[in-house]
Amino acid sequence: MKTPFRLDEHPRRRPQPLSSPPAGYFEQLPTRVMAQVAPPAARTSQPLAWLLRAPAYLRTGIASTLLLGTFAASLWLGGASLHSPVAKAASLDAVPPAQLVEYLTSGETHVDMLELAELPTHHLGITKQYLQPSSTELTEALDAQPAEEAGLL
Amino acid sequence: MEDHEILAKFHEPASRNLAFNQLVRKYQQKVYWHVRKMVVDHDDADDLTQDVFVKVWKNLDNFRQDAQLFTWIYRIATNECLSFLQSKRRKFFLPLNDVGAELAAKLEADPAVAGDEIELKLQKAILRLPDKQRLVFNLRYYDEMPYEQMAEVTGTSVGALKASYHHAARKIEEYVTAADTPATNADEAY
Repeated sequence: MKTPFRLDEHPRRRPQPLSSPPAGYFEQLPTRVMAQVAPPAARTSQPLAWLLRAPAYLRTGIASTLLLGTFAASLWLGGASLHSPVAKAASLDAVPPAQLVEYLTSGETHVDMLELAELPTHHLGITKQYLQPSSTELTEALDAQPAEEAGLL
Repeated sequence: MEDHEILAKFHEPASRNLAFNQLVRKYQQKVYWHVRKMVVDHDDADDLTQDVFVKVWKNLDNFRQDAQLFTWIYRIATNECLSFLQSKRRKFFLPLNDVGAELAAKLEADPAVAGDEIELKLQKAILRLPDKQRLVFNLRYYDEMPYEQMAEVTGTSVGALKASYHHAARKIEEYVTAADTPATNADEAY
């Protein structure tokens, strides 16, 4: 006959025989618990903490609105600065006259010397506003021109 | 650090976090193993242990020092375990024995028990007890907690706890004896 099992006679294994938790578990647990119970004041001190907790669709919406807003603002501000005469004059003032002449007479702008020569007759003083060439610079520029263009002046 | 020192520091806003960190370090292993014995699975025990400490944090201001801090924490842990097992049973419409069988399957996969046949039978017998009886058995048999302290933890009278423990011990002995007899199906006999 089989001997009945007696709890008192069975060697008691303490703690209860279960495998140990992963290595380092009890070292990390206090940190994980503290992360959950951080006081609300500490949480609100992060201004964008609510955004991190917001649902994904809301975050996507906010990000798209911000992107579009930034794009629109840059367009509006950029356009305003381009249309300002003061800004235009200020930006042209910074360019050396020799560089301006070189740019205007280059092939890309399609402005030839004849048009440049006629400009002062239509808009008196315009060359004074943008171009302040010295007599030496004018002489050098004229000398550098081919004979047929120079003859028109 | 003594409990009264932890509590005093906890009530000061400047040292609140530090005191609670000390409390977690002091009791984490006891709480974890108390929970683990009830739910067997480490991941479940991990979640529940954290939940226990979150509840301790939320309610520590209301803790009345007429009870021991450790007993109070144990009580929170006990309630969390019982609620967890009850919700699991309700969620999956499982009868008592099925949850016991599920826990037993997890236990069989545990390398700490594998290879020790009698120990495995004992653990399986413990898992077949109703949750509250199993809790009483664990507190008395493994933790050797005095009945008076167990009464504080469980909110049950000492007399009822003694009866519950002896009833649990008798059922376990019967189950292991039946499981040890080849011709008998322990699950049917139990």
